[in-house]
Amino acid sequence: MIEQYHHKLTNSFLLWFDNYLLEKGEAYTNKTGVSLENYKDDRSDSSYEVYGSPFKQWVIDSSINGATIPNGITVGNTPTAQYNPATQSRDGYAIDFDNGRVLVEGSDSNLNVTCDFAVKDFNIYFTNETEEDLIVENKYEINSRIFSEPESYIQPYDQVIPAVFINTATSQNKGFAFGGMEETTVTITASVLSEDSYQLDGVLSIFNDSRNECFSLIPMSDHPFNEFNDLKSGVYNYKDLSEQHGKCNGMYINDVNTSKLTDRARKSLSNDIFVGFIDFELKQHRFRHQ
Amino acid sequence: MIKIPKSVIKKIERKSQKSLKKDYKKAFKKTFDDTKKEMIKEFLSHPVTIEILSGPGGSNISGTLAGKSNLFAFIGFNISEQPIDSILQILENISYSDNGESSKGRKFNVSFPTSQDIFNVTPMPWASGRSWAKGIESGISGLGYLLNKSTSSSRSGVAIQADKKVRTARFKRVPYISSLLKKYKKKFKNIK
Repeated sequence: MIEQYHHKLTNSFLLWFDNYLLEKGEAYTNKTGVSLENYKDDRSDSSYEVYGSPFKQWVIDSSINGATIPNGITVGNTPTAQYNPATQSRDGYAIDFDNGRVLVEGSDSNLNVTCDFAVKDFNIYFTNETEEDLIVENKYEINSRIFSEPESYIQPYDQVIPAVFINTATSQNKGFAFGGMEETTVTITASVLSEDSYQLDGVLSIFNDSRNECFSLIPMSDHPFNEFNDLKSGVYNYKDLSEQHGKCNGMYINDVNTSKLTDRARKSLSNDIFVGFIDFELKQHRFRHQ
Repeated sequence: MIKIPKSVIKKIERKSQKSLKKDYKKAFKKTFDDTKKEMIKEFLSHPVTIEILSGPGGSNISGTLAGKSNLFAFIGFNISEQPIDSILQILENISYSDNGESSKGRKFNVSFPTSQDIFNVTPMPWASGRSWAKGIESGISGLGYLLNKSTSSSRSGVAIQADKKVRTARFKRVPYISSLLKKYKKKFKNIK
């Protein structure tokens, strides 16, 4: 199936949300000289060795001032794995930003790999799960950004908290103007699962002020990741990409409402997490099939 | 044919207007009261309202939960709560003011609530920033039900009973407050 309006919308919203949180909240922590640990991952290509960090979802957006975006790693004392525009790769390496790890071609599992990077304070996931499944099931590991125990690699692919789970809830088209123009209204719910009340209040406050913000519609083909969750072109800058597609080309946040799980309800959860909700109402005036 | 002087005609018009003044007020009041009554009646006979008014023991007559459990337990209200009261109070407070004569007759201003006014007074029991009345129109998760269930003493009393049935039920949105207000805003506007 070719890309549809909703694919584009979801992709665009996720990229905007990530940038907005990182920029307005400086919601990242820089980590320097983090030692990456070798581990086996049956799901990754067998021609690669995997070296993992204790944190998932490294920041990829160069438009975030102050965030360390890695362009390579250090093996021993040698900086390596820089992006090579000629081969459009890192020549035998790949940085898996999403899983917070590095893939090294070959079979050497004893390398001394270190890396500087910024880790997001909140992981961001797109989900189709219901709120009750997200919150009550207690299935998420807490990947605290502040460690009180020896750091080890974190398992890939599994979703961890603190995190924001984004879900497109409903969508509706209504006649808007002569000539077939319609008003598309999409509701998106973000469930915020955090470790403490400070983090939660911060996220809710940032997005409570996002009313009337607009964002670019960016096709999925321009999503920054390749198959390794590495950057397709070695660098990703949301602001530049957004400008490229016409900043504010029609989609805007018409309404936003934030709320927190009451303390009484929170106490009935089996885990000690803080939960909040951000309900977005997005609007665009458009001609269908565009 | 006798010709009536213009001054006399004007005098008659003035006098007749005066006598009609009282009727304008009376007529408006009557239609206003009737419309308001009709609106409250329609609200109270809405399946969602009836279901919530039935409390934790009611059945899902609104069809929002595919007949499983009921809205009172699903939303997670406390057994002692009266969620409908706050909406009813807003509807009962609809009033009008007489703004005096205008070139077209008499002008009355009706203070009519917005959907947001209703949403502001209908907080979810488990997340006060969310409105259950809005949720009826846009969708409600089963979170309230589950949170209620997981407490040792269920607030709704019966939420514990229908565990798996409710968990698998998807909430079906139905028109509620917004459409009611839209319909009656038009009716109040057309009172003549």
